[in-house]
Amino acid sequence: MNKFTTALMGGALACSMFVVGVHAQEFNEAPEFDTQVAAGELPPVEERLPDQPEVVTPLREIGTYGGTLRFGLRGSSDHNHILRLVGPQGLVRWDPVFSGVVPNLAESYEVNDNATEFTFRLRSGLKWSDGEPFTVEDVLFNVNDLLLNQDFAPTPPRYTADGQPMSVEKIDDLTVRFTFPAPAGSFLYDLAMPLGQHPVLYAKHYCSQFHPGYNDDVETLVTQSGVGDWQSLFRQQCGDIEIPARWGNPDRPTMDPWIISSPYTGGATQVTLVRNPYFWQVDTEGNQLPYIDELSADVAQDVESLILAVIGGNIDLGLRHIDSISNRPVLAENQERGNYRMFAANPGGGQYMTIDLNLTHKDPELRELFDQKDFRIALSLGMDRQEIIDTVLLGQSEPWQLGDFPGSPYYNEQLSTQYLEHDPDRANELLDTLGYERGSDGIRTLPSGRKISFQIDVIPTNTPDHVDILGLIEAQWREIGVEMKVNPLERSFFFDRITVANAHDAAVWPNNGGALVNYPTKLVPLHQDSRWGIAWMQWYTTQGESGEEPPEDINERLDLWEQIRATAVPAEREALYAELNQRAADAFEVLGVAKSITTYGIANKDLVNVPDEMPNSWEWPTPAPTLLQTWFYKTN
Amino acid sequence: MITYVIRRLIWAIPFLFAASLVAFALITLPPGDYVTTMAQTLAESGDQVDQARLAALRARYGLDQPLIVQYFMWIGGVLQGDFGMSFEWNQPVADLIWERLGLSFILEFSTLIFAWGVALPIGVYSAVRKYSVGDYVASVLGFLGLALPNFLIALVLMYIAVVHFGTDVTGLFSPQYRDAPWSWAKFTNLLAHLWIPVIILGTSTTASLIRIMRANLLDELSKPYVVTARAKGLSEWKLILKYPVRLALNPFVSTIGWAFPQLISGAVITAYVLSLPTAGPLMLQALLAQDMYLAGAFILLLCCFSIVGMLISDILLALVDPRIRFR
Repeated sequence: MNKFTTALMGGALACSMFVVGVHAQEFNEAPEFDTQVAAGELPPVEERLPDQPEVVTPLREIGTYGGTLRFGLRGSSDHNHILRLVGPQGLVRWDPVFSGVVPNLAESYEVNDNATEFTFRLRSGLKWSDGEPFTVEDVLFNVNDLLLNQDFAPTPPRYTADGQPMSVEKIDDLTVRFTFPAPAGSFLYDLAMPLGQHPVLYAKHYCSQFHPGYNDDVETLVTQSGVGDWQSLFRQQCGDIEIPARWGNPDRPTMDPWIISSPYTGGATQVTLVRNPYFWQVDTEGNQLPYIDELSADVAQDVESLILAVIGGNIDLGLRHIDSISNRPVLAENQERGNYRMFAANPGGGQYMTIDLNLTHKDPELRELFDQKDFRIALSLGMDRQEIIDTVLLGQSEPWQLGDFPGSPYYNEQLSTQYLEHDPDRANELLDTLGYERGSDGIRTLPSGRKISFQIDVIPTNTPDHVDILGLIEAQWREIGVEMKVNPLERSFFFDRITVANAHDAAVWPNNGGALVNYPTKLVPLHQDSRWGIAWMQWYTTQGESGEEPPEDINERLDLWEQIRATAVPAEREALYAELNQRAADAFEVLGVAKSITTYGIANKDLVNVPDEMPNSWEWPTPAPTLLQTWFYKTN
Repeated sequence: MITYVIRRLIWAIPFLFAASLVAFALITLPPGDYVTTMAQTLAESGDQVDQARLAALRARYGLDQPLIVQYFMWIGGVLQGDFGMSFEWNQPVADLIWERLGLSFILEFSTLIFAWGVALPIGVYSAVRKYSVGDYVASVLGFLGLALPNFLIALVLMYIAVVHFGTDVTGLFSPQYRDAPWSWAKFTNLLAHLWIPVIILGTSTTASLIRIMRANLLDELSKPYVVTARAKGLSEWKLILKYPVRLALNPFVSTIGWAFPQLISGAVITAYVLSLPTAGPLMLQALLAQDMYLAGAFILLLCCFSIVGMLISDILLALVDPRIRFR
C-alpha cells in the first residue's frame, strides 16, 4: 500500500473506531418512521441501518428532523439538478472541501503500488431504499452485465486503461476488486465524480428483471412498454447517470438520502423526493440522516420566474440557473424579503474566457502568423484586461492566463501571470520587429500584402458576456494594428465548424479549472476543448489515424499526460504536472483573459450547516458533497 | 352537407401528408440533433456528458440514419397509432401529449367563453351608444388590450403578486393538488387558479372582438331594414339583438376555427412564463431540445386541429348565416 492510500485508510479507520463508540448507544429516527415502526410497517431503525453506519459530523450543529427543502427545477434538461442535491452515492465520494476522496458505500479501500488493483470493502448490512440488502453481487451485476456489456452501451473510457477494459472479481461477501491491464492513476477520482457511479448504480434484485441475462421473458416487457429493445426498456425503468428517466421511476431502489416520490417526467409540474428509510448515515449522536423530510421543486419553464420565486421566498436553495453576474444585484437586494442569505461558490481554477488561436489552421499564412510566439505575446499585451473586467464583469475577477489559482499544488506563476499587463507600446514594437507594416487604414499587413485580419468564433447564447468582452478586445487590438472580427455562431455550427471541420481562425470558451480532476485541455491537445490544436487532438485521440502529427514539444507533453494519468501517488503527479505546466508556460499557446468568477447561491436563513462558501464544479457536483442530509431548519 | 364534409376530409389527407413532411424537415433543419443539443444544454449548466454514451444514444435513436429514413420510421409508427418515444423523457409521446391537452382544452375553452362573454355585450353597447362615455372607456381598454402583449401582462402581474402581495400566480393548481387524482376539491382548486391565466390570455382576444363587433354592428345599424323594423314599432333591444347582431356574429363564429389549433400553439410564451401545465410550453421545450418525435407529434396534431377547426367553423357559419351555402 502506498502513502496516498495509507493516509486515506487512516481516516477511514479513525472513522470506524468512532462508530464502535456510537454503536453502543441507541439510534434515533425521524418521527414519521417512529409511527410506521410502531404500526409494524417498517422494521426498527437498528435493523434498517448497516451494522456500522457511517458517522457524519455535521458542519456546525446536530440537527432536528423536519421541513421541506424547496428548489427550482426547469422543465427540460435539468435532471442533473436533482443529482447535484442527492449526490452521486458511489463507492467513494469527495470530501466537503474538494481536497481528496473519502469512502462512501465502501467502508475502506486499498490501491496497489502501480495503481492497477483497487480493492473495496463494502459496509456490512447496507440496504437499498426498498430494504433489500446491498451486496457485492450488485457490484458484479453493474460491472459485468452492464458496464462491460457492449450490447448495453459502450464502456466509458474511465473504466479502461490502455484501451482495455478493467475486470472485477469478488474476494469475499463484502470485498470486491477492480483490476486494470495498465495503471489507472485517476480511477479513485473518477469514482468520486457523478459519472463514476456506474459500479453501484443499479439494484440487481430490481433492475435484473429488465435484463435478458436474468429474465428470459424480457421481450414481453419490451413489447408491453413499446420502447423497441431491452436496452431502452432498462434505461426507461432504471435510468442512467445522466438521463431524466433516472428520476422518473419511484419504484427504482437507490442508496440516496432522498428517493423520488413525484417523478420528474415530461409533463411534471412538481417533483418531490422523500426521506429514504434505509439511508445508511447517522450523525454523531446516532440520529439517522437526513434531517430534512422532503426535497420539493416546482417545475418552472422560465429562469425569470425562478428568480421571482427566490425573491418571493419560495426557494430554499438555489445556485444553478440563477447565479449569473447580472442577477447578483437583484439577489443581494432582496435577501430580507426572500428570507435567504447568499453563499459563495468558488471555481477551483480556470478562466472566464480563453482565446484559442488555431495553431493547426488549414490556411498556411494564418497558421504561420499564429505560430509565432511573439505575435501571441503582442496580442496578450494588447489586451486591457482590467478594462474588460471593470466594464463587463463588474470588477468581479482579475487578469489571468492559464492554470490553477495560488494555493493549489498545481499552481505555476509563470503560466498564470505572464504577459498580463496592458502594454500597447511593447506590443507594437514586437509586431514591428516581426515585420508587419501598417497599411493606410492602420491595420498591419502580412508580407503577401494581405491584411492581418481574423475571426473569433463565439456562442452568444452560452455566455452572452463573451460577445461583450470580444467587442472590447476588438477595439483594443485595432490599436496595435490587428483586425479581429467577432463571429457569433449557433452552438451546433460552432461545434461542426471547429471540432469536426477545424475551419476556425480562433474561438473562445470558458475553461473549467481545478487540475485535481480536469483535463488540462489548454496545456495539451487532448479534447475538443483544445481548440488551439484540433488537428493534433484528432491525431492523438485516433492514435495517428487522422489529424496531423504534433511537433516534438507537443508530443512530449502528450507523453507527460499519459504518465500523469497512470500515476496515483499525489507527489509524483504534482512533479509531472509541474513539468507539464512549465512546458506549456514556455510555449504560451492559449491566451487567458480573466479568472473564473465566484458566483453566489442562495439558502434559506433558517437552514443550518450550509457552508458559507463551497467549490463550484461538476466533478464535485455542487453542492452535494457538503452533505445536504446534514442540513436542517432551525426555528427560533 | 354530408358530401361537403366528406370531400373536405378527403382533401385533408394529402394536406396532412405534406404538412407532416414539412414539419419533420423543419424540426430536423437546425444543425445538430437531440443528442448534441442535450450535451450543449447540460454544458451550459456546467455539467459534462459522457461522450461514449452519446454515440450509443445517437445510434439507438436512429439519428445517424439519413433524414428520409428517419421520416419513414416516424410516419410509419404514426400511421399505426404509435407516436414513438420522447427522446428526452423515455416516455411514450402519446401519454405526454394527452396529459397536457386536457388542461389546454379547459384553459382554451374558458378563455373563449370569457372573451365572448365580455366582448359581446360591450361590443353591442359601444356600437349602439356610439361616442358615449361608455364607448370611449371600452375603446381605450380595447386598444390597451390589443397593444399589450399577453406575456408582458403576465410578467407584470406575477411581479406585483410576489413583491406586493407575497402570493404566486403561476401554475393551475396548489401544490397539494398537483399530483392528486381528480376530485371535486381539485376541480374547485383549478377554478380558483384558472381565472388569472384566463384574463391574461383573454385580453387581446376580447379587445379585438370588441372592436370587430362594434365595427360590424355599426355597418348594419344604418341599413334600411333596421329603419324599417324600427318604423314598424319593434322594441329597440329586440330589434338589435334579433337582426343586426346576428349578422355581426359571423366573425365570432370564425374564431372557433382559430381556437382549435390554439389548443396547442395558443399563448406559448404566456404559458411558458406562467409555468402553466398546458401543451404549449411542452411543445416549445420539445422543439428547443430537438426531441423529434414529441415535437413532430405536436405539429401534426396542430395541423389536424387546424383542419378540423376550420371545417367546424365553416359548418357553423352556414348554420348561423343562411346566406352562406355549401358548395
